[in-house]
Amino acid sequence: MERRDFFKKAAVVAGAAAVGTSTSEAGTTVQPIDNRKVSPVAFPEKRPLIMYSDRPPLLETPRDVFTSVLTPNDQFFVRWHMPDIPTYIDPDKFTISVNGLVKKELMISLTDLKTKFEQVEFTAVLQCGGNSRSAFTPIAGGIQWGSGAMGCARWKGVRLKDILDKAGLQKDAKWIGFNGSEKAAYYETPNFIRELELTELDDNVILAYEMNGEDLPYLNGYPLRLILPGYYSDSWVKMLSNITVTNEYKHLFFMDVAYRVPDNETESETPEKKFPKTKPIKKMNVKSIIGYPLNGDKLSLKSHTVVRGVAFDDGHGIEAVMVSTDAGKTWGKALLDDGSLGRYAYRAFRFSFKPNDLGKVVIMAKAINKLGEEQPLSKDILWNHGGYKYNGIDEVTVEVV
Amino acid sequence: MKKLILIAAILTSGLFAQVDEKVEVPYVAFPIKMGQGFDAIQIHCLMCHSFGYITNQGRQSKKFWRGKVDKMIVHFKAPMDEAAAKATTAYLFEHYGNGKLK
Repeated sequence: MERRDFFKKAAVVAGAAAVGTSTSEAGTTVQPIDNRKVSPVAFPEKRPLIMYSDRPPLLETPRDVFTSVLTPNDQFFVRWHMPDIPTYIDPDKFTISVNGLVKKELMISLTDLKTKFEQVEFTAVLQCGGNSRSAFTPIAGGIQWGSGAMGCARWKGVRLKDILDKAGLQKDAKWIGFNGSEKAAYYETPNFIRELELTELDDNVILAYEMNGEDLPYLNGYPLRLILPGYYSDSWVKMLSNITVTNEYKHLFFMDVAYRVPDNETESETPEKKFPKTKPIKKMNVKSIIGYPLNGDKLSLKSHTVVRGVAFDDGHGIEAVMVSTDAGKTWGKALLDDGSLGRYAYRAFRFSFKPNDLGKVVIMAKAINKLGEEQPLSKDILWNHGGYKYNGIDEVTVEVV
Repeated sequence: MKKLILIAAILTSGLFAQVDEKVEVPYVAFPIKMGQGFDAIQIHCLMCHSFGYITNQGRQSKKFWRGKVDKMIVHFKAPMDEAAAKATTAYLFEHYGNGKLK
């Protein structure tokens, strides 16, 4: 049975997501798994979501949330790496340390952060590099995410640049390391640290304490996380505790081994012959997801349907979203929202469709960005061992009755 | 005057978190297959992550599972010897394998 056959009963047991099985030919990328139900278990500050693990927590946003530009905090996906997440942080005692090659070491409290620096707020998409991994065949290593390891929120905080300016960088400063507060079970396990080169950091990089006008939820990194618009979420360090400035790159697991793709033009390889040189996943490619209708929905004959969804890229901006209601034979231009939330936010799209014939209808959405880059068909997406950066044209199949 | 006092009070009263006590992450009992080597899985894998983390990788080759075990030993510093690595790999491949050695 093919996994894209959404009519099959979802094999979801006791809150665990189904094990992905595929009978597709080796090497053909398909649509990500889309038959998972939300778990009956609600995590702190969250509604029930699709769940893959409780420790560390791995939660996915269901598809129907992707009709709105802002993803509600209680439906925003969750991805941690270590088993031990601080479950209480006193906002009155919390401080973020800035040290290393700085003129003055800083310990900044949340109150200072909120009152002694210029406050900035913008909207940006946060997406896991492994989002939609379940589309790859053979099955790529890692959690078999569907399409919901992503979200878009309004982030409020302080520019990293302003903080580094206050500390004052020494002449040979070159790398900035960001340390999160999650802890491993063993003392020897490497911490979740990311390093970014100073040249990569612009005014859009902020330390955020607010998400959609509220405190960050614990599971999204309370009380402070790094916001790197345009980049995949592995760089958006949660529960940020320490910033260290160095002059040389430290070799760290989460930089050198995880979250990397083949360093060739197509960023691809085969399971038999993996490409020896890799590079970090970094910036997001152009992508769109249909939020309505859903796979398996029944639409009434001749009743107007508005297909809705969201589209985004790494900040170049969305030029157009094309929608097909005949499995890709013909395409029409969707209407886009006004884009007032900025170039790093989702653009909501809508497309009017009147089903005139009975039976199954395949609806597809394809986003094109301002550089002219467009989403490929899923079957044209080449394999990489980590199953990163899937951005195939999204498909839902409905039945007109 | 009243306004000024109020502002001062807000600035000195500290911050209020949305949740002002310890959050409880629920424990989930993931279904897991029983069989030879399960003891090794329980001892060596469950320290750091749930069974969900294993079963949601999808069905994989023996080489993949051995690679995951090696990653846990080399990068995450799981205290496992070769016998433990072999036992966990055999269990994972038998119950969550795709039948392929590579």
